[in-house]
Amino acid sequence: MSDLKALIEAVIKGDVKSATADTQSAVDGGQNVQDILDVGLIAAMDEVGKRFSKGQMFVPQMLRSARTMQECMKLLEPFFQEGTITSKGKVIIGTVKGDLHDIGKNLVSMMMEGAGFTMFDLGVDVSPERFVQKAQEIEPDIVAMSALLSTTMPSMRLTIEALEQASLRSKVKVMIGGAPVTRKYAQEIEADCYAPDAGSAVTRAKEILGIS
Amino acid sequence: MKQSEIPTFQPRLRVLNHDQALAIHAAALQILEKTGFKMEHPVALEMLTDAGCKVTNGDWLRLPASLVEDALNSAPRQITLYDQKGNETMPLANGNPFYGTGSDAIFTLDLKTGQRRRVVLKDVTNFARLVDGLENIAFAMSMGNPEDVPIEDIYIHVFAEMVKNTNKPIVFIADSGRDIARIYRIACQVMGGEEAFQKKPFILNYSEAISPLRFPENVMEKLIFCAEKSIPICLPSGSNAGGGAPITLAGAMALGIAENLVGLVIHQLAGKGSPFLFGPNVSVLDMKSTVVSYGCPEWSLTQAALADMRDEIYGLPIWAYAGASDAKVMDAQAGAEAMFSIISSMLSRCDLIHDVGFLEYGSTSSLEMVVMANELVAMSRFFTEGIPVDKETLALEAIERVTVGGPGSIFLMDDHTFEHFMQAQFLPTLLDRNRYDSWQEAGATDLYQRCNAEARRILAEHQVEPKTDVVLTEIDRILQGG
Repeated sequence: MSDLKALIEAVIKGDVKSATADTQSAVDGGQNVQDILDVGLIAAMDEVGKRFSKGQMFVPQMLRSARTMQECMKLLEPFFQEGTITSKGKVIIGTVKGDLHDIGKNLVSMMMEGAGFTMFDLGVDVSPERFVQKAQEIEPDIVAMSALLSTTMPSMRLTIEALEQASLRSKVKVMIGGAPVTRKYAQEIEADCYAPDAGSAVTRAKEILGIS
Repeated sequence: MKQSEIPTFQPRLRVLNHDQALAIHAAALQILEKTGFKMEHPVALEMLTDAGCKVTNGDWLRLPASLVEDALNSAPRQITLYDQKGNETMPLANGNPFYGTGSDAIFTLDLKTGQRRRVVLKDVTNFARLVDGLENIAFAMSMGNPEDVPIEDIYIHVFAEMVKNTNKPIVFIADSGRDIARIYRIACQVMGGEEAFQKKPFILNYSEAISPLRFPENVMEKLIFCAEKSIPICLPSGSNAGGGAPITLAGAMALGIAENLVGLVIHQLAGKGSPFLFGPNVSVLDMKSTVVSYGCPEWSLTQAALADMRDEIYGLPIWAYAGASDAKVMDAQAGAEAMFSIISSMLSRCDLIHDVGFLEYGSTSSLEMVVMANELVAMSRFFTEGIPVDKETLALEAIERVTVGGPGSIFLMDDHTFEHFMQAQFLPTLLDRNRYDSWQEAGATDLYQRCNAEARRILAEHQVEPKTDVVLTEIDRILQGG
């Protein structure tokens, strides 16, 4: 039984080589794969998240850790396929129609992936129809929308309405964010959740799904 | 022998040498020739390919340096903005700095409660009136996106409100070809017709491409419209180091300039000789909070560098920023950051300098910050005007008089002092120099409180010369959709 401490350290440091080697040897050594994921990889990213919130880590370092974790996840892909292990939840994310800004959305996506969510990134300029289409296809737990322009925010409301129309609204949690977005606006359009930045997006996502 | 006049040296900050400027420009050209950009407006794409750009993949284009050269040659080196009464108040040339406010803030500091709250249309009214009444703020911007107007027409409402509450030049935002056309009609109404407006434009459009190297259709619509109508425009992308652009400042500048040059080329193809205010916004993405910083030294540095590149290569007046802060309240950080950018933008001779009055990295606007900045601009101006050296200022006669004069002979009483003191010194009004006891008796206020009181006073007392009823009726008609 290999000690996951080395793996955790490697992920926090952003050392892809060591982390993937440690992951592979844990798998080969017959370690419980869900443990490798939860107690190893996700726990490492939890720690990264904590340090980042305390201002002890910078974003590029946090993203490097996230990328390291992603590389390790690739090794666990077959087990996901088999259904042996599960993720924390499925999330569709995109920047709304008319808006091409994606830095914030990409950050949220990386951080949520680091926290153990399976992300489906639709990119930018995503129409309500496309959000609905993807939701019908993969049955997500969360639909997450981002906007940087005040003038494109109405598309968030339209997307929620489209989910309603497709009888999907009650099956998903809707999360919104972006510079002009406010908690008040989220309440107005009856989104389930608003997050002011990428860090709190992870916390809020776990909250609304009732998971840790 | 007649003594010739000694010209006054005016301090000027330089941050780049000739080789650096050339290298950054060369890098920008290389980005355009080798990396290319995404052009999402089909007509603009066609214009570019007709002019010699190569399509590499769908709507990805590469632009040859010769097109850049042509555009730089045809764009006017001087852009003159007038006020709404036709006076030439902002001649943008020769590094003449003009300061103004900003746009698109979501929140504002309430004048009465000091609380941060959502912007409403009345705030746009107040900021316009405040700018109208402040001597050193040359132009107005909205200072907010109000939550109480229909969002599809938000920029038209905001523009109309500014026009009703100030006669100074206005830098405005629009969403696309649709609303910019209506804003233009309002502007023409104000001046008494399209011809009159084009002779004396009082507006400048601020639009942004998306870094890296992406040109959305609605943005190009506005660019082409302004080129065709000779409405001055700037097209700075958000090429922030670590965000839309590489982390190192030289690369971020090269990318931002490359993006700006694409805009300039299209602009000059659509309207040769139309006015284009040059320059990207090169701030930083903060590596802990991921905000685009409005108080960082980097932005002041990159725009100072851009001013040097203007003088070495481009020759076009440039867009810049100053007088803003990342602080959430108007505290010492706000003062420090605001002054840093105000004095450096002036020393480096940026031309049109916006965002005065912002807190919270541009998310919150503050009337008090604008009032403070008004005084900081005056203080900076005094510094950058240098020290005139002539017979009068050398004051030899006064020195002789006071020195050899009898007891009771002091400079304070001398005629020379009386004649010169108002020009010879910077006279602060809000920066407090009182003796401790007087300061205490007057209420022991800090700068924020004094700026707050001054903002209230200006809003209560300042009279904005109103537009005629005819013009106001027309504006409202256009607002309603007429």
